[in-house]
Amino acid sequence: MKDELGSHLRGLTDHLRARTAPPGLAEVAAVTEVLLGTMQAYFRSLDTELYREFRNLSDYIARARDEIAELRPGDLQTERLPRAGRELEAIVRSTEEATNRIMSAAEAIMAADHADPEAFRALVADRCMAIFEACSFQDITGQRITKVVETLTYIEQRVGRLKDALGAEFDESVPVDSREGDARLLNGPALEGEGVAQDEVDRLLDEPPAAPAGKASQADIDAMFG
Amino acid sequence: MAVDPQMPILIVDDYKTMLRIIRNLLKQLGFDNVDEATDGEAAFAKLKNKPYALVISDWNMEPMTGYELLKQVRADDGLRATPFIMVTAESKTENVIAAKQAGVNNYIVKPFNAETLKAKMRSVIGEF
Repeated sequence: MKDELGSHLRGLTDHLRARTAPPGLAEVAAVTEVLLGTMQAYFRSLDTELYREFRNLSDYIARARDEIAELRPGDLQTERLPRAGRELEAIVRSTEEATNRIMSAAEAIMAADHADPEAFRALVADRCMAIFEACSFQDITGQRITKVVETLTYIEQRVGRLKDALGAEFDESVPVDSREGDARLLNGPALEGEGVAQDEVDRLLDEPPAAPAGKASQADIDAMFG
Repeated sequence: MAVDPQMPILIVDDYKTMLRIIRNLLKQLGFDNVDEATDGEAAFAKLKNKPYALVISDWNMEPMTGYELLKQVRADDGLRATPFIMVTAESKTENVIAAKQAGVNNYIVKPFNAETLKAKMRSVIGEF
């Protein structure tokens, strides 16, 4: 469009320059008319392009707004996440209480006097019953864990849909561990398949130490060969 | 030389339940003279005040980890020979290697049983 406007204007100005007499009103009007016509077409095309861009942007924002509303961040922040946190705290508390009750029962049995077999039998039966009762925590904690997993699944699904709605490219690479020094060694309990078993730990401890950097002494060399 | 069942042992863990489990296991193995600490800092203070024949420590504790405690013990002239067993859920190869390089005497991965504790203690302090 810019090129079209330029060529019209160039043609008209060349024509006017070629004249020896000054341009009359009719000629100026003709130039103005051409100029206006060309400018209108140019701005009309700009309007359409801008309108399309704004429309896309508006659709994008509407989709994002709908997905964020669907995520119900207020509900997540005030209800679901605090609730999940309380469930986890309750799990920690109940497993600790159960463990202590089981250990107390076991300690009582181990410390019991065997001199009176009847009394000993009664004590063992009583303490074993206490152990069975304490084990009932497993059912409750199972239900609590299910609720927490439901909340995590809810968040996962909504975030996935939000990502799809935004259609944005996200960095899917594994995040870099930004911890430094000894902190990098703190990872907590491993899941199945992660970490090493006790046998592997024993093997690593039995391995001769690696050669130190630089010149090794005869003792270092001997150690490397076990 | 026979192991003295009255030898003082320091167990270090931030979970009271785990301290109680280890204490009970040690009692079953015949060791009754057991002190407790709930992090590396408290453990190091106890080590500076009383000689211990064995330290059994968790890794992941605050403010001072068991790994830092191990390094401090090995850097201390009076304590560097103290036998040290790490009992931890940190089971990555780099953890085992780091502990070994820092001078740990043995390393037990949680969860563990009495037999494993007994075997590792025997390898560190001798038969009992």
